[in-house]
Amino acid sequence: MKSLSFLAGLAALAVALVPVAAGAQAVVGSPAPAFTATDSHGQTHSLQEYRGKYVVLEWHNQGCPYTKKHYVSGNMQSLQKEWTTKGVVWFTVISSAPGEQGYVTDAEENAYLEQMHAAPTAVLMDPEGKLGHLFSAKTTPEMYVIDPEGKLIYEGAIDDRATPETSDIKGADNYLNDALMESMSGKPVAHAYTRSYGCSVKYAN
Amino acid sequence: MRRFHLIFALVALFAAALPATSQLVAPAGEPKDTKAAFDAQHLRVELLVPGNTLYGDKKLNEAGLYFKLEPGWHIYWKNAGDSGEPPSIQWALPKGITATSMQFPAPERLPLGPLMDFGYENEVLFPFNFEVSDKLDRGGKIGNVGPYTLHAKVSWLVCREVCIPGKAELELDRYVWVGLYTLLDDRGRSLAERFFEKPHAQLPALPTTPPPTDTAIFQSAPTGFRLAVTTGQRETHAEFFPEDEDILDNPAPQTIAPTATGLVLDLKKDANLTAAPAQLKGVLELAGGRNYEIVATPGTVAAPPVAPAFAFGALASTAFFAFLGGLLLNLMPCVFPVLFLKGLALVQSGSEERHKLRAHGVVYTLAILVSFWALVGALLILRAAGATLGWGFQFQSPVFLALMAALLFFLGLSLAGQFEIGLTLTSAGGALAAKQGYAGSFFTGVLAVIVATPCTAPFMGTAIGYALAQPAAATFTIFTALALGLAAPYIALTLQPAWTSVLPKPGAWMDILKQAVSVPIFGTVIWLTWVVVDAYGANLLLALLSIFLLLVVAGWFLGRWPARRWATLVAVLLLLTALVACITAPRELATSPALLRSEGSAPRSGAGAWQPWSNDAVQHALAAGQPVFVDFTASWCLSCQVNERVALSQPEVMQAFGERNVALFKADWTREDPAITQELTALGRSGVPVYALYSEGQNNPRLLPQVLTPGIVLDAINKLPAAVATPTSASPSKQQ
Repeated sequence: MKSLSFLAGLAALAVALVPVAAGAQAVVGSPAPAFTATDSHGQTHSLQEYRGKYVVLEWHNQGCPYTKKHYVSGNMQSLQKEWTTKGVVWFTVISSAPGEQGYVTDAEENAYLEQMHAAPTAVLMDPEGKLGHLFSAKTTPEMYVIDPEGKLIYEGAIDDRATPETSDIKGADNYLNDALMESMSGKPVAHAYTRSYGCSVKYAN
Repeated sequence: MRRFHLIFALVALFAAALPATSQLVAPAGEPKDTKAAFDAQHLRVELLVPGNTLYGDKKLNEAGLYFKLEPGWHIYWKNAGDSGEPPSIQWALPKGITATSMQFPAPERLPLGPLMDFGYENEVLFPFNFEVSDKLDRGGKIGNVGPYTLHAKVSWLVCREVCIPGKAELELDRYVWVGLYTLLDDRGRSLAERFFEKPHAQLPALPTTPPPTDTAIFQSAPTGFRLAVTTGQRETHAEFFPEDEDILDNPAPQTIAPTATGLVLDLKKDANLTAAPAQLKGVLELAGGRNYEIVATPGTVAAPPVAPAFAFGALASTAFFAFLGGLLLNLMPCVFPVLFLKGLALVQSGSEERHKLRAHGVVYTLAILVSFWALVGALLILRAAGATLGWGFQFQSPVFLALMAALLFFLGLSLAGQFEIGLTLTSAGGALAAKQGYAGSFFTGVLAVIVATPCTAPFMGTAIGYALAQPAAATFTIFTALALGLAAPYIALTLQPAWTSVLPKPGAWMDILKQAVSVPIFGTVIWLTWVVVDAYGANLLLALLSIFLLLVVAGWFLGRWPARRWATLVAVLLLLTALVACITAPRELATSPALLRSEGSAPRSGAGAWQPWSNDAVQHALAAGQPVFVDFTASWCLSCQVNERVALSQPEVMQAFGERNVALFKADWTREDPAITQELTALGRSGVPVYALYSEGQNNPRLLPQVLTPGIVLDAINKLPAAVATPTSASPSKQQ
């Protein structure tokens, strides 16, 4: 906020810049906003280069009990393996700001991936929350699916059981699977936008 | 619970008096509720079932799930907002006993960075009722039968910055009364009273059904909804909590426009919402703790009530007052030094040709217009981006304050004669000098606007409040009028060269005047320095004075070796250092507001009578029957300081406040404070000073003028009893 009023003080200069930052937003059924981000191995990925493939974004916070539900049970890892072997690009995104829960260094994240046997295509490090704000990510875990044409076709919860209980994974309706399977078989996605559940994304305040 | 013993004794008596056709059961004692509460991380959860007997009438079986939270932690409403989950309860009850679902009291908005959650802090009670049916196995007995075990699995999510899910199994035993029970009607007391033995004002209240005369309709627009609610009175405060998730953009500010009989609320919808909802259902929270459960149906909402005022006439009259306000601004102490500068420039250019004078006037006017437009544009854009800012917001930035102080100080040095700006910064040359002149005119115009903003002149408070609530076109019209008013005296002089002939011929007196002008400029520097130190702590004083020293040295180089390239270079380097210091020092050295407050709030408020403002504190004082006076102020607001010295701190005024037992609050807007900005908006203003006098039973405070005299304040205080006097409260309360 302090920096906001500082900006405001230099108002005339800032006028042209502010609306751009506030404008772009991800909306289901529309093209997903373009982005470029760096992964935990220092490599750069842009959405553009994966045109022609399905892209899954998974917002992640390893300290969040709702994220733990899907990692301790192995559910998320098996989803990652299942879909990446089918050619889907899976980006885990970490938008926790430094000092907030879930913020990790590249090395810490890589160790975590190994320990958890997680298998995303890459983990995008987003400590400034740019990607999070671009997609209006609200919770962890929150899932997004982008189709081969670059259109956002799913945004919301991973499944229909908004609890931190691992026992609730079995028998849940997995919205991510639904969206990918429906879209791949040429059907419209039935639940294209659901309320995501979980912990709030730990953006800088 | 103590009340229970009495009732229980009555029950026992009544039961004993009944002709016993079958075995009469007298309970051995009160069941122990040892398993009814659970201390979890950051909260205590308790199952509360008053009395120890359930009855056939479910209205007598009020019960609740009570959470007591650690400070800073919250749990959620049924629509948790952007994240979070509401608490839930799963029952294991004997056959024949059921529990109704929990009711959720009215929540509060819980901002979390860019997200918005809905929930409760401190404590909350979710009420529900037990129902006893014929299916209950009574064992063929009458009277108090049982006990039966009521078992609940409770789960919740408690969050602060992090979220922790929790669960507990709670259990208690209750008898079921079989027989007559009219003796035991305890319905006169609220559930909370029965739980806590005393009124429990802090508990969030359950929303009620609005009176049948109230109506709620909504109209869909491309980006949101316009919700119109009629309550029969003007509403200045409202927050809407949607019951359905994914309908609204939760963090977006909800803009209220009061109408004569209610309000219109502008809500932004969720970007992913495609179909217009059939109804808009949720809780509407209004001033004075009124919470209504509303179901708005689609309809046509008349353009918000500001629109009638937007009629050309209202716009024209507001623009006229804005123009007058702009004229008056020229006389305000913050702009006065700039006016001096302009007068000086006029005298200097007295010998110049007419068209040049005119050009200067036009450039000056243009500069004022452009600066106002830029400021308003930036303000509107930042507001649209979600920031809560008001007029004068740039003075809430210590960097801006430091830059202003340094700039004026440097200007003062030049005027006092240390160096000539024109000589050193450009080499001589006709065209260039003229250009420099126009740049100078432009610069003074910009300066006039920047220093004018904190001095909201008498007519301007309402005009600016009105302007910022209008569509952008009207806003800009009003600010244009204001800008023209500010520029009017000077442009009139330049456009009517005949008038300039009254000015004396240039001569030695000009140098003297110029030096004299530096005095009010240095005065302004002193004021700005005080504002910085007052708001951000003494550490910054050292930085600021060092910056001044750098400027003095830079000025010395410019004055001692004029028009030398190396000297100019040294001066520019020094100026750059000062600039960097202005930008970095506030971040490095500013004392946190909390620390500053604990050290020095008492001396600033003058008397101990002033308490720091918060909406809760005001509501509490009002609830206790005290009238409330709020002084919305900022240390960078000169007219605020003047009003405080001249009117508010006068002994007779303070005495009158004391006699009426008025609770005094100071809302200090020196630093950015969204809560205060929000309150100002609710009052229809967007800057300080604002003086609001609240009395019980009135929803809208009385706003005093922006220029106070002791008489005005005393008059308002004297009118209080009339305002307070309702048929029920005879005289103003004086207990202290």
